[in-house]
Amino acid sequence: MDPKTSVARSPFSSVVQRRSKSYRQSYRSYVGTMSHLAYTPGFTKRRLTTCRLAPKRCSTAEMNPEQRALLVREWQLSYVTPLYRFQHGHLKTYSRQLAAFLVSERQRGVAAEVGLESTLRVTFTLVAGMAQTEEEADTVFIKIHSKTPLALPDDPQKVLWSGWLTCVGGDPDYLRTLPEDFVCLPLFCSGGTEGLTALVKAWFQRTFDCCFGLLEINSVNLQWLAALWTDCHARTSIKQLKLVWSLPAEPPMEVIYAMHAQDASELWRSVRQPGLREEEDDGSVGLEEVACFFKGLKSHFYRHFRVELPAGRLTQVSTALGSAKHGGRIKISNSSYMITTLTLLTECALLKMPI
Amino acid sequence: VTMAATLIPPDLNSSSSTDSSSTSNRSISRSLRVAEKAKKGIKAEDPIVAALKYFSKVQKGTPCRGNDEFENNLVTVERVAYSKGLSPEAISVMLEFAMSLRMGTVPCVRVLKCLLPSTVVPHQAVVRAVVWLCVGKLSIATQVLFIKWVLTVFDMIDAKDNLRAIYGFLFSFVTEENLVMRLFRVRKLLELHSKLGKQPYLLHLLSLYKVFCPELVTLSFNSRIRAGFGNHNGPWKLALNAIQKRTAVLVPSDLPLALQTQEKAGSRKRKLGHLDLPVLTAVVQSQKQTSLSQMVVPLAQIQSFVQLLENLHLIELPAQMGSLLGSSLALHYLDCVQDESAFLRINFWLGHSLHEEFLFCGHGGASQGSDEAVQFLERLMSTQDFLQEGFSSVEAFLYKFLNVWDGSLLRPQILALLSNVPVVPSTCISRLLSEPLEQLFFTSKVFFKCGLIESLNGMLVKWLTWHSVYALEDGRNSPLSSTRNVSRSGFMLSVGELVRFVGRLATLGLQLEGCHSLLLSFILDFYDTVCDIFQKYGLPLVVMIPRSVFYPALFAFDPISVDRLAKIMNRYKINLTAAKKQEKITGKAFHISLKTYQEFNHYLAFMVNCLWNSRIFQPGDDIELSEELLHESGVPQYWASFSLTNHPAFHCYAIDFHHKCWPERRDVDLKSIQHLQQWGWYLEYLFTQGFDGLRQFIQSNIKTSSRGP
Repeated sequence: MDPKTSVARSPFSSVVQRRSKSYRQSYRSYVGTMSHLAYTPGFTKRRLTTCRLAPKRCSTAEMNPEQRALLVREWQLSYVTPLYRFQHGHLKTYSRQLAAFLVSERQRGVAAEVGLESTLRVTFTLVAGMAQTEEEADTVFIKIHSKTPLALPDDPQKVLWSGWLTCVGGDPDYLRTLPEDFVCLPLFCSGGTEGLTALVKAWFQRTFDCCFGLLEINSVNLQWLAALWTDCHARTSIKQLKLVWSLPAEPPMEVIYAMHAQDASELWRSVRQPGLREEEDDGSVGLEEVACFFKGLKSHFYRHFRVELPAGRLTQVSTALGSAKHGGRIKISNSSYMITTLTLLTECALLKMPI
Repeated sequence: VTMAATLIPPDLNSSSSTDSSSTSNRSISRSLRVAEKAKKGIKAEDPIVAALKYFSKVQKGTPCRGNDEFENNLVTVERVAYSKGLSPEAISVMLEFAMSLRMGTVPCVRVLKCLLPSTVVPHQAVVRAVVWLCVGKLSIATQVLFIKWVLTVFDMIDAKDNLRAIYGFLFSFVTEENLVMRLFRVRKLLELHSKLGKQPYLLHLLSLYKVFCPELVTLSFNSRIRAGFGNHNGPWKLALNAIQKRTAVLVPSDLPLALQTQEKAGSRKRKLGHLDLPVLTAVVQSQKQTSLSQMVVPLAQIQSFVQLLENLHLIELPAQMGSLLGSSLALHYLDCVQDESAFLRINFWLGHSLHEEFLFCGHGGASQGSDEAVQFLERLMSTQDFLQEGFSSVEAFLYKFLNVWDGSLLRPQILALLSNVPVVPSTCISRLLSEPLEQLFFTSKVFFKCGLIESLNGMLVKWLTWHSVYALEDGRNSPLSSTRNVSRSGFMLSVGELVRFVGRLATLGLQLEGCHSLLLSFILDFYDTVCDIFQKYGLPLVVMIPRSVFYPALFAFDPISVDRLAKIMNRYKINLTAAKKQEKITGKAFHISLKTYQEFNHYLAFMVNCLWNSRIFQPGDDIELSEELLHESGVPQYWASFSLTNHPAFHCYAIDFHHKCWPERRDVDLKSIQHLQQWGWYLEYLFTQGFDGLRQFIQSNIKTSSRGP
């Protein structure tokens, strides 16, 4: 028999055949028919957004209790590469597996049987109503409780750790290029001891073949947050706008710059340039406006204190709506504008994706 | 059924597997030996044969204390065992003797300790020994000793299939608290585990279950307990190694767990483990899958290449794809994987590791350039070499990294990765490669320049090789010939762009470094590839060497450069001729611009004039000097100053040749070489010095009958 045809008839030819090499892919990129991976590294750039929608208020009544859980505390941010074969239908199984994993890790070197009673209880819950588009996966909230054997069933359990994975307003083009097997929840917020955070990350890494990395909020994004929050003042009071700069002086100097909400809001209104856009006012905010806002703030500071803030680095922004730190810690205090904040953070996380 | 059969204890009178003689009378053993001696000649002299004979025949109940014959024979066996190891037959005899307890427990232990195989252990012997084990007469300590022995020599057992049938019996010894599948077994282990605490051997067993049934058990180790079963095998292992070294016999054991090539991490702990490879583990099934999951073999269970081949269609990828990089066996499989998701997973992991370590390294910057980084990148390179392609995440990383690179951090590794970058569309070359690389090139030392040119040469070679392989593959399948034409022209544009880019670098590099001969050599390497694109890789593209490289090479002080230039020019000629020929045959073929031919002819004429005809600085040449200037220089016969005798690169050869021709002459007159006969000899002399490029050039471009200058 002709050797070629015998290969073709082999039932496992789909596996056994030598895989086509990546040069095929490079060829493909010429022809214009992109592979479904659709990334030809470096050829398409995910750029920083220069224009955002101004925050829109959503009423607290719409919030469900799960969403409210996201407001309680300050979160440490990380980015996560897409989760392989994560299924929202298997949250119960994940709860059991993670609990067993945590128990076994806690008692280093002692094995634990999956599914047995343990001192920890893990719950995975779905937070509905966060996704902005169809491409986005639903937010998942994870809680770790300690279980005391004497506790009554109604007793509030002690929460040791909580965290959530989310994707709000992620770049639809990027999300669409991922194959079905992957679930993209790029923003991971954790609250609890570092040890437990590390363990949860390790479990995710092993189970869904993903990677975690620290998500810092750079000063451009802090400026964005400051501007967007100030923009809300017209509808919801932000009380005051507090900015913290760290200056490269010896010894290092920290400048805390707090101003009345009203003043900040007025400055913001003065730099808004609705005339620049073609439509009357679609509520979008441009990067140049943010830059202008901060230029005003800095020059004001210079006039009073003769300190050049541009030489330093913006490290923290806080208002009544929330606070954000350069190291990647965020607190969202008001649910009304949560989506805006999370959209920005999701974008930061997606920018960190290696491919 | 087979198990039941092996369970029947062997009859004590039955013969051992090696000796079929049924005689058990010791009194006639001597005559037998004599007969053996006659039969086998010298071999029978060997006391070991006698000893083995003794042990195969010795009767049950023979006392061992004070039995000199026994003692002598055992000493013989021990001596042989520790020096050369025991043959398979000897192992069978001695194991049978020991396990049957014919002379009690004391010799049994002694024999077991010296059972060091020289080549293999016959599996029948082990099975028989296990049968004896099941008879239950052995003391616990002896049983344990035997099982430890089996574990030690496990890799040397010739056929393990029969053994697999009796694993169950071996497992039953786990309860003996001194040793080594399904849920109830795990339960048993867990029970033991909770009773006995963290015993390393139990942890080891459990870790095996973690590999095979991850859904049943979770477990984490302290990294230190790796040495699972203690060192009880130590003496055996040492003795075995010594024997194997001495006899230099390669024992046909399976590949030693090729799946985990975990290096011993240094005592220094890294804080950020971005570059640690994940451990190869099977996927934890999130739901009970039906019959399908039975068919799947997790890659973590594959231990040998043979197993890999047998299960190729059933293999399940591991939980973390990054772990494949740690195993050569897994890479073999990866080469066959067609699942794009699998590659995406690897790329996510790899890209994340590289980004975190080298780009987002706000805190751990000091760890860069460390051993780990070097090891990681080298593993990455060898993986890419093995797969013969680059990972797209590495490519994406490089494009970013080149912009922040200082050109010295991990230079060899980064340059090697760079040469693996797959074809870049011509429109992107400038942004992704040229801009960052030019900056680095112009501000760096000559060694970096050489390295970069070498790397780009590697890149070009890989592109061209990919192309030629692709063209071949496509010729066979040719599903989309129209798309291929499009892509081919795109590919040609890319190659052209790359060659022009390197040409630019070469031009400026040679100027900056004053025609550094090392740099020139790397540049000529590159043009070695370029000049042969059509003939060697079948790509209809001829890009001429730029003048800024041609002239420095032609006037170089070292003869090697001139020789290599001659070779390159000769290859250009062959390529252009072939292209012309093809154009004539196929009619359309491809278009090589007239300018390329003109340029080549121009070079060729100049080179021949310069080296052969002693006619340089002619009007119309690229190098034109005014008559006055040439006169002012005071160089006599300046038109001949770059001929093969006067060229600075060949001057010393000409002088040497002159000495050889006329040893008696005091003053050297190179003009005398230019006579017809001497000229021919001189060329011959040069060719014997290894200037093959020059020879090819002269032979193909200058009619040998024509006289010298």
